[in-house]
Amino acid sequence: MNFCHLQHKAQVPGGVRWTSSCRPAPLLTASPVRALIDDKISIRGHFLPPRCPVTVCAQMQSDDGDLWEAFAHFNTNSDGTVNLTRDPSVGGSYLGCEPMGLLWGLQPAPGAREGLRQGHVSPSERPSTELAAVTAERWYMAPGVRRIEIRQNGVVGTLFLPPGPGPFPAMLDMWGMGGGLVEYRSALFASRGYASFSLAYIGHKDLPGPQNRINVGDPYFNSAFQLLQDHPQVYPDRIGIIGLSFGVYLTLRLASHSGIKPSCLICINGPAGSTIKLTDADGKTEQMENDQKYWTYDDQGNVSFRAVSLPANLSPESKVKLEHLTCPLMYIVGEDDLSASSIENANLIEETLSAAGKSQLFTRLSYPGAGHLIEPPYTPNSRASLWSVKPQKLVTLWGGHLAPHAAAQEDSWKKILEYMETNLRH
Amino acid sequence: MSMKPLCVKLSVQPSRGLVDEKFTVLVQNLLPGFQLTVHALHQCEDGHSWEAFAHYTADATGTVNVSQDPSLDGTYSGVEPMGLLWSLRPVPGSKSGLRMRKKNVQTPMVVTISVYQGHQMEGFLDRVLLASVVVERWYMAPGVRRVPITDGKLTATLFLPSGPGPFPGLLDLWGNGGKLVEYRAALLASHGIASMALDYLTPQITKETGKIVDNDYFETAYRVLEQHPQILGSRIAMLGLSFGTSVTLRMAVYSQVVKLSCAVCISGSHVQPIGGSVEEILSYFKKNADKTRFDENKQVICRDLLLPIPTDPSLKVDMGRLQCPLMLVVGEDDQNWPTYECAMDMKEMMERAGNSHLLTVLSYKNAGHLIEPPFMPFARASTFKTVTNPPTKVMVLWGGELVAHSRAQEEAWRKTLVFLRENLYGSMKHGA
Repeated sequence: MNFCHLQHKAQVPGGVRWTSSCRPAPLLTASPVRALIDDKISIRGHFLPPRCPVTVCAQMQSDDGDLWEAFAHFNTNSDGTVNLTRDPSVGGSYLGCEPMGLLWGLQPAPGAREGLRQGHVSPSERPSTELAAVTAERWYMAPGVRRIEIRQNGVVGTLFLPPGPGPFPAMLDMWGMGGGLVEYRSALFASRGYASFSLAYIGHKDLPGPQNRINVGDPYFNSAFQLLQDHPQVYPDRIGIIGLSFGVYLTLRLASHSGIKPSCLICINGPAGSTIKLTDADGKTEQMENDQKYWTYDDQGNVSFRAVSLPANLSPESKVKLEHLTCPLMYIVGEDDLSASSIENANLIEETLSAAGKSQLFTRLSYPGAGHLIEPPYTPNSRASLWSVKPQKLVTLWGGHLAPHAAAQEDSWKKILEYMETNLRH
Repeated sequence: MSMKPLCVKLSVQPSRGLVDEKFTVLVQNLLPGFQLTVHALHQCEDGHSWEAFAHYTADATGTVNVSQDPSLDGTYSGVEPMGLLWSLRPVPGSKSGLRMRKKNVQTPMVVTISVYQGHQMEGFLDRVLLASVVVERWYMAPGVRRVPITDGKLTATLFLPSGPGPFPGLLDLWGNGGKLVEYRAALLASHGIASMALDYLTPQITKETGKIVDNDYFETAYRVLEQHPQILGSRIAMLGLSFGTSVTLRMAVYSQVVKLSCAVCISGSHVQPIGGSVEEILSYFKKNADKTRFDENKQVICRDLLLPIPTDPSLKVDMGRLQCPLMLVVGEDDQNWPTYECAMDMKEMMERAGNSHLLTVLSYKNAGHLIEPPFMPFARASTFKTVTNPPTKVMVLWGGELVAHSRAQEEAWRKTLVFLRENLYGSMKHGA
């Protein structure tokens, strides 16, 4: 999907239907009405009754048709306005002054849209009068960004190129064991002027072998990096690598190869090694059931994968030779990560680099209350989600609490872009 | 270690904006003192290419910020944040007399902003291109609905803002060129006003019957707005440009049906045979056609057709009877209508009658006739096809000077929106 439509609605108390009054409905504005996912927007209500309770809601329909909602309660000020950049929410999906709270606070709506609400009322309560609405578009791709499907030299991925002649600095972008192809971070990088290549390595129909295993090894990741270097619109000596979760291991492993010289690495909540025993020198993996002995369960039967990546549980031969790293590395930690042992792995990487006299290469960003999936900002976040349905339904815990996780996403994204600017453009 | 080549970064924020939104063009990672040209290119719907460009020198931090730094030369100079748009002109070799007007408002205007090395004046396609981005400029905000209207034999398009309403309404009238011109109404709806663009010179009914519409056509349009379930019947305005102001003033003062909350008249006149039909107003103008002048480029100057301002009260709308707030927008260099003289006469009439507190006049030195929404290219003259039978194509001189006219458009639009918002959304003060 190229973009999502977001409807912001303002609702006030009272059974009076607005249409019979002699005033027009209040005016709800959003600026900019068309923005990239990581842009801030300013939402305002005008011509509301003064000093009056009002609820502002956001609704978004996802790709799969699910409805997401967030709401916040305000009291309008004496001139009948509400301004989400200035005014605090006194209840709802978030509290306090949070200009982007209606976006990062989006949660799956209970059933079909409840409709309208009165005063300070939560969405699941009785209908009330909807006053005003404004629609905003949130885009992953800036105009002119080109999306190119790559199926070349056995490599499976999607390349996003910014508009213009290039050449551009570039990023290789890898996600976790959830598999498939997650494109939107790359799309955003391209919208910010970087060529970016989302690489698939598990759970994709165009990759060899069964989809529940990694069937590619070191040559595959080397080819992907090479593909970027060889691209006529990419600066071969200005390529960075970003990895989330298991993508961190792949990032570190690739970067420690002698032939590969990235300009920088960005690692989010992932391990420096793997529990999966390596069967051959080129890194082809074995069955992943070995991991299960490290899974822990809460009293609802939800699984946490955290212990799988504890340094003590990682196989020694899989641990990346971090002392061979020659480029700057930024490691981002969600301190409430329930899916990976991020703090411990950050420590391991820092200690190893320090021992090798390379501590100046290491930067750590650490966020209390943030979970595993630290993604671009202003996107909804879940503390847990469905991981698999076979052989039985399994819900996995990511960790993170709503507001601190949102703050982590906002801050880390800004710092990621600055880091890329410093290391890839100068 | 080898020296890395410059990694120039060009960004335009926002990359998708409404037509009346400002943007910031930033070029970074240059060497201090680096000379560059920022270039804008747009291909409009009829295939013509338009371009603008400006010369800049990077500052000590290696940056050029178009909103803050002066252009040294080009299609504009000095500090002009939006100069890349309003100074767009047809590329060399184009037909003369072009005027840019968007027909399809459901798609954006796409502009390519590029950076070239050095201070270039022409031949851009052959120069070293450093970076390039694409910018979209929209007339319609997301959620705005476009509704073709044929009720009551009207030829119109209604634009409804996002949301349940009810919204204030507005009837939007253009001038003698006829046709259904939607872009201003679409933009007004993007600002929360349900706006109907009305074709009143070349509507379907006129094509079928051969007759020009009369007052009841406009009253029907007003009624369609008034009765619309999402429009508040007690808050309706009219906005007219050029001949559209003649209709607006007539309706505002004399119609028993049309009750306006306010009116905006751009580049217009109150001079018309009152009590006559719309067709009679057109004939009145044509009667004075011998007063048409031509400038040194053989461009048609029509402003004398309505001069001198008549003293005969049957030839001017009785402005003393106006009961709603009125904003007049005047270009003092208008070569097509004697807008300034008419505005002064209207003011005088209202001062004598004691209702001049309703009047606001925005008057702009060196602005011409076509005062439109901001940041669009300026045409001092353009080819104009008359709606007469048979139609004739002439080169009409609108007047105005590029910079002053562009500034006037920006300020007039902003003030028009404030005026409309105050009168349509604010607490009731007058009239209706």
